[in-house]
Amino acid sequence: MEFTLLWAVLTAVALTWLGLRIWPDSVPEGGFDRLLGGGMAGLLVGRVTAMTLQGINPITSPADLIVIRGGVHTGAATIAFIAVLSWSTRSTRDALDALAPAILLGLAGWHAGCLWRGACLGIPGDLPWAWALEGSNVTRHPVEIYAAVGLAAAAWLVSSLDRRVWLRAGTALAAAAAIRLLTEPLRPSITGGPTLWYWAGVVAGLTVVVAGWRLRRPTVTAPT
Amino acid sequence: MKKLLLFVLVLAACSAGGPVDTSDLDDLPAVTAAEFDAHLAELERPAVVNVWASWCLPCRSEAPLLDAAHRRFGDEIEFIGVDVQDSQPAAKQFLSEFGLDFTHFFDRDRAIPNFYGGLGTPITLFFASHGELVSTHNGVIDERTLALNIDELRQTGS
Repeated sequence: MEFTLLWAVLTAVALTWLGLRIWPDSVPEGGFDRLLGGGMAGLLVGRVTAMTLQGINPITSPADLIVIRGGVHTGAATIAFIAVLSWSTRSTRDALDALAPAILLGLAGWHAGCLWRGACLGIPGDLPWAWALEGSNVTRHPVEIYAAVGLAAAAWLVSSLDRRVWLRAGTALAAAAAIRLLTEPLRPSITGGPTLWYWAGVVAGLTVVVAGWRLRRPTVTAPT
Repeated sequence: MKKLLLFVLVLAACSAGGPVDTSDLDDLPAVTAAEFDAHLAELERPAVVNVWASWCLPCRSEAPLLDAAHRRFGDEIEFIGVDVQDSQPAAKQFLSEFGLDFTHFFDRDRAIPNFYGGLGTPITLFFASHGELVSTHNGVIDERTLALNIDELRQTGS
C-alpha cells in the first residue's frame, strides 16, 4: 500500500485551511467543512464517472470506487464540487466569492503534492530548473510545479479583486481551468487529457463573471 | 427512496454482464522467470510488462488504461501481461472482459515478479530494449505515471 496520493490530498487540504485563514473575509460559518464536503462529493462523482466511461460498472463493482488511482473524471468532479458547495452555501450570497481564493490555494497544494508522489515531471526540456527522473539523463519540465505556482498566483490575484457578485468565483474557475489548459501540452499523456473540459471551465468562469456583472447593473426604468 | 433503490437494482440487474464462454480460447502460455527474461532479451524495442491477476481489484481499474496505452503506443513499445497466482479460466474471463489485446503469460507461482523484485499485485515494469529493467511501479498505476514512464522509454529505451 502506498500513501503518496494521500499525502498530496493532505497537502491540498492543509493549504485550503491556510487560505481560509489568510483570506477570512465573508467566509461562511463552517466554510472549511463545506469545502471538504464538496471535495468528497466531487471525488465520488468523478470516480463513478471515470469507472463508467472505462466500462467498469460501479453498481456491480462497488469496491473499485476506492481505487482512486484508476482515474477521477475532472469535469464531473468539478461540476459535483461546485454544485454541492453552491447548495451548502445557498443561504450566503457571496460565499463562493469568499471561498474562491482558498480553493485555488488548495488546488495549488494538490499540484505541489507531486513532490510526495514523485510525479512532478512532464515532457523533456532543457531549462535550468528542469530535472530528470531517477537514473535518467533526460531532463524534464516540472510541469506540476508550474501549475502550483500559477494557481497560487491566481489565488492572490483573485483575493485582490473587488467584492462584486461572482467576480471572484468566476475568475477563479476561469483561472484554474486556464492554468490546467496552458500546462496540459507539457504533460505526457495517453488519452490526450481533458482539454475540452478545461476550455469549458474557462468559458463557464467568464460567463459567471459577466452574469454577475449584469446582475449588479442598475435597472433603468422607462419614464412613465 | 424506494423508487430510487428499485431503479438502482434494476440498473444493476440489466448491466451485470454474465460470464463469457471462454472455453474455445487457448490457455495462456506458462513460462519460468528465466524463459521470460530470455524472451525480453530478444526484444528489439522497449517493453512495458504488467503483472496482474483476475482476483486483483486494482488490476481491473488499470486495465482500461493499459488497453488505451497499448492502442496508442503498441507500434513502438511491446506490451506484455503476466498473470500471477491465478487459474486459466479466470484469466481468460478477465482478458475477455477488458479486451487486453497483447501477449500474456501465465505465472502461477509468481516467479517472474519475484525475479525482478516487484512487490504485490499489480506491478508495472518498464524495460529498455533487450530486457534492461529501467523502472518498477508497485501498485495501481495512474495515467500520468504510465505516460511519463512510456515517454522515458521512448526517449532513451531503444
